[in-house]
Amino acid sequence: MVFIFGFHFDDQRLVKASLETFYGIGPKVSQRIMARHYIHPWAKVGSLKNNTLMNLTADLTSMKIENDLRREVQENIRRLKDMGAYRGRRHAMGLPVRGQNTRTQIATARRLNKIERGGSGRVQM
Amino acid sequence: MPPSSSLRGVTQLLRETVQPSFACRRLGEVQQTAYLSTSAPRFASVPKKKGLTAAPKKGTKTLNVKKGRKQSGGDTGKKPAVGERKAMRKAVVLSNNNALEVSSLKNLDNENVLDAEIAGKVYGIPDDAIDALRAVDAFKPKQGWKLFRRPAVVVRKEAMQLAQLIKEVESGSEGAKKTVRRIITGERMSGKSTLVLQGLLMAHLRNWVVINLPEAQDLVNAHTEYAPLQGSQPMQYTQDTYTANLLSQILKANKQIADLPVTKEHSLPQPLPPKATLRSLIDIGVATPESSWSVFAALWEELTQPGRPPIMFAIDGLAHIMRNSEYLSADVKPIHAFDLTIVRQFVDYLSGAKSLPNGGIIFAATSGSNSPTVDALNFSLQCAAARQFAPEKMPRWNPYTNLDMRVMEALKDVDTLPLKGLTKEEARALMEYYAESGMLRAKVDDGLVGERWALAGMGNIGELERTTVRMRV
Repeated sequence: MVFIFGFHFDDQRLVKASLETFYGIGPKVSQRIMARHYIHPWAKVGSLKNNTLMNLTADLTSMKIENDLRREVQENIRRLKDMGAYRGRRHAMGLPVRGQNTRTQIATARRLNKIERGGSGRVQM
Repeated sequence: MPPSSSLRGVTQLLRETVQPSFACRRLGEVQQTAYLSTSAPRFASVPKKKGLTAAPKKGTKTLNVKKGRKQSGGDTGKKPAVGERKAMRKAVVLSNNNALEVSSLKNLDNENVLDAEIAGKVYGIPDDAIDALRAVDAFKPKQGWKLFRRPAVVVRKEAMQLAQLIKEVESGSEGAKKTVRRIITGERMSGKSTLVLQGLLMAHLRNWVVINLPEAQDLVNAHTEYAPLQGSQPMQYTQDTYTANLLSQILKANKQIADLPVTKEHSLPQPLPPKATLRSLIDIGVATPESSWSVFAALWEELTQPGRPPIMFAIDGLAHIMRNSEYLSADVKPIHAFDLTIVRQFVDYLSGAKSLPNGGIIFAATSGSNSPTVDALNFSLQCAAARQFAPEKMPRWNPYTNLDMRVMEALKDVDTLPLKGLTKEEARALMEYYAESGMLRAKVDDGLVGERWALAGMGNIGELERTTVRMRV
């Protein structure tokens, strides 16, 4: 078990996959982070040295990820809603925001377009 | 019978047949115990068979092709343990108990390995050399070693050229030893990796230091750790785990250098014991991978001191190190393979920028089956071949291809060792060996040799093996 950014990961898990479990880190960002710390793409979490782990966690702490990022996205949506914008209303109704047709095929909008976008996270906001 | 009596008879009959049913119905409402009946089991719901589900309802999706979904009653076999399949894939089997012992097979040894008389014959590899070659991963899993009782090689024309080069290096006077640089080229399955193995074998038998990078791809595909080398400008990168493994291989394969004393002062992260030997130096690098590169550099410095043996430094799959590696620098740019310390060490000597004071051979093989297209390498090899064999026909650089100037610079005057097919005599010697091993059940005469030699694309050795011992008709 290794702790990264306060979460524990199995030793056998890839560093790349572990980083991408955080909200706000995808393939590009994880690649960038790993290059910065000279971690090769196939490295397992268990192979990281303590020093690297500490630097990694410090790096993640300075980034806007997880709940900070969720909060920002939700605030942006809430702002739209509070000022009564069409986009805010559509978000609140769970409908497409950018003028798409709504007769069929709006599953993605139903899933994503909501005020509490991104859920409440692994640690409750 | 009178009609009135017959009518009465019918009503009587009716009464008898209808009334019991009424009675039954009424009785059924109050009856507590069941009569003997077979209908209950007959009409009971049939227990579902495993794996069979009810027919899907209309409108539901039935096609389910997702992989990895657990099936009931599916495969319950034991899963392979971690690393088991890779170990199986990489296993090198060097003997076959079912093949016959070839009584006439002689071993190569220190004296005969450079003789002219071994040309064109098949020779066995002695046991200690097998251990050394195995230690440096010179045997490849897909080669045909597992077909025969013990490893043997045919000493072909190109191997004799190599022996000649070894002789030249050894005969050089002290202080003016030659550093020979060669790139083996040739078709797929023409025996390039095996020639590297033969080179390593000859060098080992002549008590040279043998260093082998068995697969260039492993250096650049970003599967091992890397770290920036402090104080290097432009930035270089070390591969600590790989280097530590390489050091342990060097120690296993070169027992003769283990007890040589360390003669110079080296700045290592850990202090050396007093009266240190090269073994204790290497052990530091193996035990602490972080210091492996500085240990390797120190070892190289020791090996290039006067009086030390010549070095055979070989790599297989050259094209992989002639381009950007899969590693990324801190600013997310690809790292050129030449900026990896081990690769740079090799390329410095291959390009002739540095030379070995005690002499040696820098030996690189291209690969026919696993090699990326590198325009600069292909063009350099064409130029080298033209320089050697047809100077009037120098190839022109195609301005529409993207040539890596670092590669062009490194390969600008390196020579090639082109590998052609076997001659018919060599093919015959090899096929006689196959027949004596019991792997080829045919009379080896001119007809068969000519046929198989032609089938194998004019003596391509891999194809020859395929058409004679691997193929079963």
